[in-house]
Amino acid sequence: MTSEDFIKALVGLDEEKALELARERIEKGDDPLKILEDMRKAADKIGKKFEDGEYFVSDLILTGEIFNEIMEMLKPLIKKKKVKRKGKVVAGTVEGDIHDIGKNIVIALLEAEGFEVIDIGVDQPPEAFIEAIKKHKPDIVSLSGLLTEAIESMKNTIDAIKEAGLRDKVKIIVGGGRTNEEVKEYTEADEWADDAATGVKKMKKLIGAD
Amino acid sequence: MDMEELRKEKLERLESALTCKEPDRVPILVFNDVFCGKYSGYTAQEIYFDYEKWKDATLNVAKNFNFDYIFTLNGLEGMFLFASFIEKAPEVAANMRFVTGPYHQILEDTYTRWPGIELKEDVHPQFIGKEIMKKEEYDKFIEAPIKFMHEVALPRICKNLANPGSMEYNTTLTRLGAEATNYGNATLQLIMELKNIGYPFFPMAHSYAPLDFLGDFLRDIKNVILDLYRDPETVKGAIEAITSHMIKTGTISGTIPPEVKEMFGTEIVWCFYPLHLTEYLKPELYNEYYWPSLLKVFKETIKAGLLPFVLFEGSHDTHLETLQSIPKHSIAGMFEKTDPRKVKEVIGDRMCIMYGPPNSLLIGSTPEKVHDWTRELLVDMKDDGGFILFPGVDAAGIAKDARPENIKAMMDAVEKYGKY
Repeated sequence: MTSEDFIKALVGLDEEKALELARERIEKGDDPLKILEDMRKAADKIGKKFEDGEYFVSDLILTGEIFNEIMEMLKPLIKKKKVKRKGKVVAGTVEGDIHDIGKNIVIALLEAEGFEVIDIGVDQPPEAFIEAIKKHKPDIVSLSGLLTEAIESMKNTIDAIKEAGLRDKVKIIVGGGRTNEEVKEYTEADEWADDAATGVKKMKKLIGAD
Repeated sequence: MDMEELRKEKLERLESALTCKEPDRVPILVFNDVFCGKYSGYTAQEIYFDYEKWKDATLNVAKNFNFDYIFTLNGLEGMFLFASFIEKAPEVAANMRFVTGPYHQILEDTYTRWPGIELKEDVHPQFIGKEIMKKEEYDKFIEAPIKFMHEVALPRICKNLANPGSMEYNTTLTRLGAEATNYGNATLQLIMELKNIGYPFFPMAHSYAPLDFLGDFLRDIKNVILDLYRDPETVKGAIEAITSHMIKTGTISGTIPPEVKEMFGTEIVWCFYPLHLTEYLKPELYNEYYWPSLLKVFKETIKAGLLPFVLFEGSHDTHLETLQSIPKHSIAGMFEKTDPRKVKEVIGDRMCIMYGPPNSLLIGSTPEKVHDWTRELLVDMKDDGGFILFPGVDAAGIAKDARPENIKAMMDAVEKYGKY
């Protein structure tokens, strides 16, 4: 029953109730992985509602906030367990751009989906992405940016990843308010998204986890 | 053609389109941004910190592309300054609507990042914003919003205004005032030089959506959205408190001396509104907290004889119906991500619509594709007038990396298919 109520509170964006139930479950000794799995289910439903036009960006911002608050409680517990992750993502905002609202919502949703996310921060040059690919061997690289200029930086970053011989090792998604199909083609990314929910959905698809 | 004749021709074209009539052809209106810098061989840093280079680059673009209008704005969102000073010192505040590079150096504001200072020298400056007002301070703001701006917000926003009454504080304000005069003079020179080469000018007032004021300058976007879910009544109180000031900023800055109107030969005075939270908000929040106060400000500024010039940033798809309540033929709006065909379908000829090729197209596409894209847009949108071509809708202007040949292709298409 708690599990269902918990999912319902999350999907309904009832912050108070969701946090209360999360706390209760942790205190009761519920398996944190089960809680995480419920968050994944809720994230799926929220993404669907966004896709259907029932939820809006403001709802995703609140979702990100609620998920972050619960993840903070769960992280110390999950760390103790060996968890099989769905995939690994290196996420960052590209060089010349320091916006991060979008990136942070994507990360909250990805973590709820069971991805391991390495956040390399904002205004990151191509070399930082290359270094992170070499070090963390991610399945996906997520390039964020809000500015129009970010398009050029995304292209430069992907070009540099190619030159470093790493392009076939990772899938790449470009994301942000100015991205579209043309930007995907221009930058030669594998996918694009101008909202966080679609981004997460496309990332799952990219690695066959949908 | 004689430059004065050319200017009048363009002026008439714009006036007709802005008031929803049919001009001789669809006008092209440009915010040219860093594009003028790259096109003229200057870095973004030079454009934003050296008024002479900015003027030179703008004039260079104005001469080489025969647009109908070029905006001479140079800087980042600065309504927090404008709104703080306009009621007591309109003559100085008039030059503080945007934070310029030199203002940033003087104030050391924490909102913005600039090329050659915090960013690389050829990167567009960026407004990041910051949480300035804590949640528990709403009541203090509601009590006296402008007082709060001066006594609490400005000292937090600007490092060099951190200690009111200190030598540093007084020096900073003195320097800001002097720099505002420099910027004002540079702008005026540029406007006059543009006039000499056949470009019209409309005086511009400034106002703001009340909820955006809270989101952009006090709580930051994420926090104000969370506040709307967690404590909506308090946010509503703050919106009500700031609304009358937003009306005043519009009407005070829109009081244009008759000799200025005469010099530029027009009665139209714009009132500029960049809208920021619209795409974020779900209709329930938009309809309850964003739109009513904005509509009130729109109506009051229209009543004062101003023509709201509105940037509908992001997608406005779910909010289009609300535009029905705007007085007919009294505003002009640019739509960033909403198809203008859809706007027209929903609201008919109620307002002047501005739209054009996004930068993703101007940067990454070919002249042929841009030409075709523009033709299709004109075929669908130009009938009955009230339409202005606005390139670079996705960044409120032509971006640095836009290809000049693509801009030319867009203009050729307007010449061919934009005539009435």
